[in-house]
Amino acid sequence: MRRVVVTGLGAVSPFGAGVKAYWTGVAAGTCAIRPISLVETAGFRSQVAAEVPEGVAGSSRRSRADRLALLAAREALDDAGLTAAERADAALIVGAVGGGMLEAEAWHWRRRGRAVTARASAGALRSILPSSHADTLASRLHVLGPRETLVTACSSGAASLAVAADLIADGLVDVALAGGADAITRICYMGFNALKLLDPAPCRPFDRERKGMSIGEGAAFLVLEEAAHARARGAREYAALAGAAMTTDAFHVTAPHPDGDGMARAMRTALARGGVAPAAVGYVNAHGTATLQNDRIEAAALRRVFGEGRVLVSSTKSMIGHTMAAAGSLEALATVLALAHGVVPPTAQHEHTDPDVPFDCVPRVARAVSVDHAISNSFGFGGQNVTLLFRRAG
Amino acid sequence: MEPKEVLDELKGILVSRLKFDPRRVADLTMETPLPKGVDGAVGLDSLDFIELSIAVEERFAIPMDESEDLVPHFASLESLSRFIAERAPSA
Amino acid sequence: MTSRPRVAITGLGAVTGVVSGGADAVARAISGGATADGERIDRTLAELIGPADARRLSRVCQLTLAAARLALADAGLADGGGLGVIVGTELGDLRSTIAFADGYLSRGPGGLSPLLFPNTVMNTMAAATAIAVTAREASLTIDAPTVAGELAVARAAASVAAGRMPAALAGGVDEIDPLVAAVLDEVGGRFVARGEGAAFLVLEPLEAAEARGARVLGEIRGVASGALPAAPHAVGRRTTPRVIEQALARAGAGVESLRAVFTGESGDARRDAWEARVLEAGAPRVPHGPAIARQFGHTSAVGPLKVAAAAATAPALVHGLARGGTHVALVVGAGR
Repeated sequence: MRRVVVTGLGAVSPFGAGVKAYWTGVAAGTCAIRPISLVETAGFRSQVAAEVPEGVAGSSRRSRADRLALLAAREALDDAGLTAAERADAALIVGAVGGGMLEAEAWHWRRRGRAVTARASAGALRSILPSSHADTLASRLHVLGPRETLVTACSSGAASLAVAADLIADGLVDVALAGGADAITRICYMGFNALKLLDPAPCRPFDRERKGMSIGEGAAFLVLEEAAHARARGAREYAALAGAAMTTDAFHVTAPHPDGDGMARAMRTALARGGVAPAAVGYVNAHGTATLQNDRIEAAALRRVFGEGRVLVSSTKSMIGHTMAAAGSLEALATVLALAHGVVPPTAQHEHTDPDVPFDCVPRVARAVSVDHAISNSFGFGGQNVTLLFRRAG
Repeated sequence: MEPKEVLDELKGILVSRLKFDPRRVADLTMETPLPKGVDGAVGLDSLDFIELSIAVEERFAIPMDESEDLVPHFASLESLSRFIAERAPSA
Repeated sequence: MTSRPRVAITGLGAVTGVVSGGADAVARAISGGATADGERIDRTLAELIGPADARRLSRVCQLTLAAARLALADAGLADGGGLGVIVGTELGDLRSTIAFADGYLSRGPGGLSPLLFPNTVMNTMAAATAIAVTAREASLTIDAPTVAGELAVARAAASVAAGRMPAALAGGVDEIDPLVAAVLDEVGGRFVARGEGAAFLVLEPLEAAEARGARVLGEIRGVASGALPAAPHAVGRRTTPRVIEQALARAGAGVESLRAVFTGESGDARRDAWEARVLEAGAPRVPHGPAIARQFGHTSAVGPLKVAAAAATAPALVHGLARGGTHVALVVGAGR
């Protein structure tokens, strides 16, 4: 059986460019959710978000999201130390939602006579589609294996990792570059405001006083590799991707299934595929958006799978907000580093755990604890659930 | 606003924002239940109600306070009309 | 690979300007060279989509659901059960996205429609369909220029063959409307005559299909995908046919056994020429089947239609090559 391991990491997050900046911020429990600067906020209840700070390096002719993807993907490939031939054969699986919508919005706003500070050319429209990231990465980084852009709303970044792992397990490729990217867009910001799902203050996952999500942006890519192939070339193994599962609630377009049925099935199936019992999992990196519904239902699903207490549960969204298509991959990356460093990241802003959440949510301060197995949950709008199961290396 | 005017505005919202067929809406009575799950109800779900509350907020200038339980007011056109008549700023 | 379950095609549903219906209706339309009727899609939707769905689903979601339902009926499968849904699309629900933004631009925050917001993410068609037919296995949406339909069928075939999904609805959908067309014009994207429509296949393990007495339209015998070097939106120069060779090898088929190849020929002269050169290298002298993209107009529905047409002329190669380099090949075998 072909096992899948993680041999390269790359990220651009609301803590800045690079995996180091990301992990430093996350391990310190720093909240990167701040007043928004990228889009107009007048008239909206929530005016904070986790933006990637300062300028995002790269050609101004590219969309912001393309630049985020390129930075993170390049770092991951360099980290993995693959040869040019290995890169050329590698699969490229990208999770995306907004694509170049930020620039397309600027173009459209201008056309309707609205002032926008961002430059907006007709050429920007060419990058509007989510598939633009994959085509850009392939061309710039010479990754020419199987190429797919997956859109599963909030779980896109995780779905990309699950599908990349499938390609390796099925024997189609030995190496895959997989992950997700998203930039803040007006549509995303306004839409979640209109649905009344945003907290005016930085979000508080699993807290009794939580009032909703915070949005964010970023990109993260992982290099996944067949284990023997990685060992043969002496690659550094961060962790094993031991199992993955995708399910669909088939219930409602925005509300999760009230029993968390699809969530529980995703977790159980990922564990079964990895041959791991729930009792062997020490940490859950939750979807944890801090909406009233998600956190309650996710906690119920966690209880069904793991029983109450024991397993540590935290939400990285408390620090980087909900980074949409990047979320599944940024949070998978945090989960991998948690295993590698023996440090479970905290839930920021966490004061009083909701009584419906019978778990230690690692409030505000990271926990030094060596964990053998951890899962990362991503539960997208429309009931698109993905669970990734990671095993500590060595 | 007169109650009849409020009702007409609400029916207009059901057509323009909730995309109901005008003929269906014309047949609705004041007492017809709005939420899904009741026989003969208009059949609105949670997302419909968010759309409706935004439309009511916009059209009648009534701020919706999220901490208040607004569900009973949205039970039927009758209860919603009363809610609007009570809360709308006078013309 | 011989230990893997074989993947059968047991149903087809299409809602397009040229034809709406199941496998037989589509086969007749293709062999008869039928042309598009501007009203057909809306007539079909009026027939197949009930008032509750018509109210809540955007047009592109209705297209997807209608074609999915036709495919399930064609396969003799009831709603529900262990179905995955894999949707390929190029443009998603751009129409709703523009309408959502325009609500704000014309009336401020109060003009935003929560009902429209979920449609601003491209998974909306897959989500709506999964909900309507109660499909609770994985659902995925693949976005790609030109070849999203082929990629969706390939992804579904791999999932079914690996046992990750008991059965799958796999296909593609795109719609076009005047504003979207204007946007594409601005971008210089009108290389091709675009059509609109949805087409879905039902895929399941051959053994399961035979056990339930299903009609087997064809078989997905081998699939491969990869890429040729090309800048985004541009055609490339390389013609390395590795993807074609891999698909044939996985199918256990020689190129000389192919009775037809179904290409993406659609009127995008430079792309069409590039694909022709790649086929010269990888499948020389194989006769071309009907140019489905020319007949139906270019949409992501074309991929699954090509697969269905290939099953009728099996063994046949379904070939896809997009600007930007995404390259996919499926070897389709005969039905029973």
